[in-house]
Amino acid sequence: MLNFLKKDPILAIEDYDFTAFKQVLNTPAENIISDIKTADLKGRGGAGFPAGVKWELARKEKSAEKYVVCNADEGEPGTFKDRYLLENSPWQVLEGILISAYVIGAEKGYIYIRGEYVKPIKIFNKIIEKAEKKGLLGENILGSEFDFELELIRGAGAYICGDETSLLNSIEGQRPRSRIKPPYPIQSGLYGKPTLVNNVETLAAAVEIINQGVETYTALGTAESNGTKLISLSGEVNEPGVYEIEFGSLTIREIVEQLGKGIRNNGQLKFVVPGGVSTSILPQEKLDIPYSYEDIKAAGSNTGSGAMIVVSEENDLIDLMLNVAEFFMSETCGTCFPCREGIRQVCYLLENAKERGYLTQRDFELITDLSQTTYLAARCGLGQSSLNFVTSVLEHYRDELLQGGGQ
Amino acid sequence: MATALIDGQQVDFESGETILEAAEKVQIKIPTLCHAEDLSIYGGCRICVVEIEGERLLKPACATKISEGMKIKTHSPKVREVRRNIFELIVASHDISCRLNCLTCSRNQSCELREIAADIGANQTRFDPIDKGYDDDRSSVSIVREPNKCITCGRCIRKCEEVQGVGIFTMANRGPATVLTTFGDKGMGNVECTNCGQCIHACPTGALHEVYHYDRVWDMLKDEDKFVVVQTAPAVRVALAELFESKPGTIVTGQMVAGLKRLGFDRVFDTNFAADLTIMEEGTELIGRIEDGGPFPMFTSCSPGWIKYIEHFYPEYLENLSSCKSPQQMFGAVAKSYYAQQHGIDKEDMVVVSVMPCTAKKFESGRGEMDQDVDFVLTTRELGRMVKEAGIDLVNLAEEDYDPMMGESTGAGSIFGSSGGVMEAALRTAYELITEEELEELDFEPVRGAEGIKEAEVEIKGMTVKTAVASGLSNVGQLLEKIKNGEEYHFVEMMACPGGCIGGGGQPIPTNQETVEERMKAIYEIDAGKKKRKSHQNKEVQQLYEDYLGAPNSHLAHELLHTNYIKREI
Ligand SMILES: Cc1cc2nc3c(=O)[nH]c(=O)nc-3n(C[C@H](O)[C@H](O)[C@H](O)COP(=O)(O)O)c2cc1C
Ligand code: SF4
Ligand code: SF4
Ligand code: SF4
Ligand code: SF4
Ligand code: FES
Repeated sequence: MLNFLKKDPILAIEDYDFTAFKQVLNTPAENIISDIKTADLKGRGGAGFPAGVKWELARKEKSAEKYVVCNADEGEPGTFKDRYLLENSPWQVLEGILISAYVIGAEKGYIYIRGEYVKPIKIFNKIIEKAEKKGLLGENILGSEFDFELELIRGAGAYICGDETSLLNSIEGQRPRSRIKPPYPIQSGLYGKPTLVNNVETLAAAVEIINQGVETYTALGTAESNGTKLISLSGEVNEPGVYEIEFGSLTIREIVEQLGKGIRNNGQLKFVVPGGVSTSILPQEKLDIPYSYEDIKAAGSNTGSGAMIVVSEENDLIDLMLNVAEFFMSETCGTCFPCREGIRQVCYLLENAKERGYLTQRDFELITDLSQTTYLAARCGLGQSSLNFVTSVLEHYRDELLQGGGQ
Repeated sequence: MATALIDGQQVDFESGETILEAAEKVQIKIPTLCHAEDLSIYGGCRICVVEIEGERLLKPACATKISEGMKIKTHSPKVREVRRNIFELIVASHDISCRLNCLTCSRNQSCELREIAADIGANQTRFDPIDKGYDDDRSSVSIVREPNKCITCGRCIRKCEEVQGVGIFTMANRGPATVLTTFGDKGMGNVECTNCGQCIHACPTGALHEVYHYDRVWDMLKDEDKFVVVQTAPAVRVALAELFESKPGTIVTGQMVAGLKRLGFDRVFDTNFAADLTIMEEGTELIGRIEDGGPFPMFTSCSPGWIKYIEHFYPEYLENLSSCKSPQQMFGAVAKSYYAQQHGIDKEDMVVVSVMPCTAKKFESGRGEMDQDVDFVLTTRELGRMVKEAGIDLVNLAEEDYDPMMGESTGAGSIFGSSGGVMEAALRTAYELITEEELEELDFEPVRGAEGIKEAEVEIKGMTVKTAVASGLSNVGQLLEKIKNGEEYHFVEMMACPGGCIGGGGQPIPTNQETVEERMKAIYEIDAGKKKRKSHQNKEVQQLYEDYLGAPNSHLAHELLHTNYIKREI
């Protein structure tokens, strides 16, 4: 088993030596960026945008002030891998933040941690305090010319805050709702200044790339998915938890069976949600694909944040759809009409269907129309992806749902 | 110049233009709802989405900059379907029911949802309406908010914040519970709202409208024992016709007078008369301050939205306000004393109604300092409703004249309706009173026009009088900040609504830059057509002083025509 990211906890600063960061301080920033680009590290927060490209763009922005933000809001149900990193490898996360800041030329950064994450917040507060004492934060870090200040922000407690533009609004003390893009945060982010937002895991992985060397890293994985990924495995498996896997080394079914040790209570596997409730489900017959960005995409879904939720035959499909739709209904920021009203109507239709025990042709037609509209016209990623789960369940279990329930 | 293709039409554009703006240039109308020209971009309603070749998702035309070589489809089948679906969602969330239906809605003539329905060919509503069950906010004496009709487009928030610099609205909650409310949900009557009514113009629906007085005015007109007099503000006559399908800027003074007589008012008088009277009082006050050396600047006091604004936000300048009541209130005070006495009418039996372009006048008439001199205030829109209800074909009526004693007015009184008008009227009179010479050039061009802040210097008897004019409360705020930072003026005219009263919160909808400019032209046309263009030439005003008040700023004048102000919390 690989352990780039999943390691024994290190909480004392004395046990951590910041080798990657020290190396970075003695290397031209362009070279670091080019390594991250060669490693083709894709953003682990869900959108999968290449981190190296983002760093390069951020570095090129001309501005006296720039910011880096570590996105540790982790609000999607079933995702807990960032929490794992914050609790076990906080120094590595800090190191990733330092490196990204140094490379793009930022002197101020924020780590935005989900409000409910009490323990990680405590840990990271201490980390910042100790780092300041040890000269890892502040002026002339480790004797270099590099000054950097880091502030911890406790999340405002809404899923939308994880969206980078909403997160920036939240840091600025505004109502957390998405901003219209463009401009992207890279051009105009916090307080209108160029801002680099990266997920916790992305930053930790960047540290590994520098420590292990690009070659070692790129030797792992598949054609389009290099290295390793943390998976938050949950749902009806015997052993849920955080697992690190090399891309392509296991199929989704193998993840369920080998890592998750099969379905609880000897149940039957029905489908897997590969990347959190904002992604489409993969039914039984599509589970024998390698775990990689490209294979999951080809199967019609998305790696998302790596939240893999396993669902057994025991569940009522209408209930499941309703639960997911209700989650999104309560989490829309309420700014745009298709998302706010579209999800609300889907919830109503599903509530009625639940009472009735099955869906009608008309329900199918209406929900499909609403999903399409919300996907095409919503203002931000939350709305656009909110009905993926529902639509994909409808698509794969049409007959079952029309006939009278998923028992 | 770069080019792109919109629906197969080549379009040239400047960098920074949105798809919405570019489409207009090739005669393509993209429906919009949360967008408004004078406000920042919101991108919430998504009714304006368009298809861009190569893009997976649709993009909002109001928020997306057009770029070189873009190929855009504004009305493709996909776009049309999405728009119809969004529309159906809005309708379902809009709580249309028998109780709330369009027929009785304040916006039954001017609803943007209805315009969109027509523009997108909507022909079904498949979703069950949602009963939101909010209570109406009736805490304000000027404005009612009906949250069940609110679609949370945020236009009122942006109008109040960006154009009026007040900012009493906020969006609360998340998800379907998202609701537009006032800060702390206190209600519009309990916050810093200035009652200007600009938010009503921003609103695409009937979620905001004035507090109606017209049913009570009908009751008064029915009551044989009441002597009901009406006054009409300068800005009403250049806007009322818009409610009867006429072009903005159509002047219907005489027709309006005839219509009011048909409605059954016992006397039809002119607020312009009171505006001339205001100039006599305010001009005299200004001359007094010039002689006494201040306090400067002296601020005009005829816009009640501005008064409430300064009381909340700049109370340290209250002594700079002219002590003059507004023309509406001067009229009421004179009607219930001078006119009532001269005609042997018991003050208790007299009912004074005003027709105003303004929602804040409703608040003003109820101020404790005002002694109930004005009983009811109708907006221009409410008068339109009454005229329609009475079946009167207003624009085709034969013109009639105002009733004597309080019906005469000069050009100076007429221009009170426009930003810069009070200043110009005051200067015409002050100049002649101070210099005792005739003013040759009556038009003070620098204080005219639609700009938010205007400045001018006038030489009067060797003295340079520095003046400034601001309209729209965020401009007012800017000018005040300038003054705070040491800029010195003698006389400053402030009006709450952009463009002055012609852009008031009670005017016909739409009130926008275009309609305001047309109404402004009409106002100056009225002035230019008058033989007498200076307030002190008004014979009936002269008579009033002779028979009753004595001289401007006399003891009685002070008692009836002047007022005081209070500091309010923020
Ligand atoms: C509704 C929504 C929620 C999101 N939540 C998170 C989150 O909790 N953590 C995260 O890192 N990214 C989240 N994202 C993605 C971020 O917007 C952004 O893409 C990411 O933080 C960029 O970092 P990366 O490139 O390192 O992945 C979310 C996006 C959306 C639309
Ligand atoms: S898509 Fe949903 S979460 Fe995003 S802006 Fe629209 S309402 Fe808000
Ligand atoms: S706002 Fe428009 S759609 Fe709504 S009730 Fe009024 S007229 Fe009808
Ligand atoms: S009346 Fe004027 S001040 Fe009051 S909420 Fe509306 S725009 Fe704001
Ligand atoms: S009150 Fe009117 S302008 Fe304000 S958000 Fe609601 S619908 Fe929009
Ligand atoms: S008009 Fe463009 S999103 Fe509302």
